[in-house]
Order: sequence, then structure tokens, then C-alpha cells
Amino acid sequence: MKEEKKITLWERYLTREIGIEFKACLYFFAFLFFYCVWRMICGSFEASILHMGEMIVCCYLIGYVQVYAFGNFDEAESLKLREGAGMLICTAIYGAVSYFCGWFEGKLMVTLCFAAYILLTYLCVFLIYRTKRRIDDKKLNEELKIFQTEHRK
Amino acid sequence: MKIDIQKIAEGEESIVIRYIEPNPAVDRIVGILSGQGGRLWGKADGQRVSIEPAAILYLESVDDAVFAYTADKVLRMEGSLSSFMSEWADESFFRCSKSMVININRVASLKSLSSNRIDATMEGGEHIIISRRYASEFRRILKGER
Repeated sequence: MKEEKKITLWERYLTREIGIEFKACLYFFAFLFFYCVWRMICGSFEASILHMGEMIVCCYLIGYVQVYAFGNFDEAESLKLREGAGMLICTAIYGAVSYFCGWFEGKLMVTLCFAAYILLTYLCVFLIYRTKRRIDDKKLNEELKIFQTEHRK
Repeated sequence: MKIDIQKIAEGEESIVIRYIEPNPAVDRIVGILSGQGGRLWGKADGQRVSIEPAAILYLESVDDAVFAYTADKVLRMEGSLSSFMSEWADESFFRCSKSMVININRVASLKSLSSNRIDATMEGGEHIIISRRYASEFRRILKGER
């Protein structure tokens, strides 16, 4: 048997870091979309660079909270208490940051709509990952059957 | 091991094996001589028994011992997982973690998990997790790319 190449600590860290950065980008674009729609409803076609900066930093930091404190809940196998709590707490942090940083001019109703939108985004991402795994299951099992047909004596 | 070969002019050909303790090398020689060269030897319930490698569901290394699990037996074997993998260079056996080897032919189904891990359900119903480190290699084997 070939000697397996060990994954170094650095590579393990890098893989996790890339995952967090991917999450940050994904959620940043989702929230930016909500923010832009809100701006357009207000009759403005301009977005604040400061708000966008706050959004990306917030998404990046909450990415760490998601991965390290709540077991990467959007990629979880199923939604249980820990995952549900993670979703609610992260949503609450986003809501609080958006309120205090004035992304929606401190309007409580819009902040609540934003929180609902975040929860919906989390749910969609969770379902997307789960569907992806289901498709992968089918592919893996098909390949397994082919392997067993070829290798069984 | 000392090998003593003697040519005889007449009489019946014979082989005498002398050992202090049973060991894998002796087991293999006995297996070959008795026409069971492809069998694995180990201890189950205090007795030495042999099994077909194809009957193994998975092997597990616990402390310094290696256990082979079949549908109805658990055999304690000599050696390590690495020595098993090098002796039985069979594509059907796959090292799925530091302490486990599975027989792919005895996998009932596979389930994709998060973080690129795979849950293998064996024919006996046991769930064995193929870690991320080994999952990519496992996928390559299934595709016949090794």
C-alpha cells in the first residue's frame, strides 16, 4: 500500500480558513442584495462603502463563530438544538450589528425583516448542502456497486 | 528463521516445522502446505482459527492488537494494519482511518457527510467513518483510478 501523505497542521488550518472565507463571501453577497433592495426602496441608488466594509468584516467574524462555536451548522447533517441555537444567535448578532451600525437607518421593522431574511438564507444554504450530499450519496453507491461487481471473486 | 533442506534418495517426502510460539509466518507456511494459502489465521475464543480474507468486514487496531471482524466472528490477529495491507495487497481492502481497514466488497451502502467525510455501512450494520484525509483516496479507488 502506498504511504499516505500526511495533512500538515498548516494545510488543515488553510482548508478551514478557506471554508470560512467562502462562507463570508456567500453571506456578504446575500446581505448586500437585501441592503441594495432596501436602498432602492428608499429611492437611493447608492450604497455606503462603510456599510459594505462593516458587512464583510461582520460576515467574516461570524463565520468563525459558526464554525468554531456552533459546529458549522449550515453544513450540518440535520438541524438539532445546537444548530438551531447557532442560527438564532448568529442571526441576532447580525441584527444587532445592522441596527447599531445603521445599515437600515436604525429602523426596527427593517432590522426584523433582515433577521428573517438571514434565517431564510441559513435554511436555504443548509438545504443546498444537504441536497448536494444526497446527490453525492447516489453517485457513491453507484460507484460502489460497480466496484463490487468488478472485484468480487 | 533457519531453513534446513535435505535431499533424500528414497522414502516419503516430508516437511517438519519447528516453532516456539505460533506466528503469522508459520501460519502462512502451514496454510500453503495444506492448500489454504489464502487464509488468515488468528485467535477466536482462545482457539486458533483461519478465515477467508473475503469474509472479513473490517479490521480494527486497538492498542497493539489487530482484530478482524467477520459476520459472526472476531479474530485477534498477529501483526499490524500496515503489515496486513502490505501482505494482502488486495484492492478490496482500504485503510479508512489510522486504526481501521475496511473490506470494500462488504460495504452495504455509503453516505456522504459534511466536511468531505463518508459513512460506510457494513453488511453487519456497523457504521465506519472514512475521514476526510482518506475519503479522496477512497473515491479514487471506487472510480478505479488507483
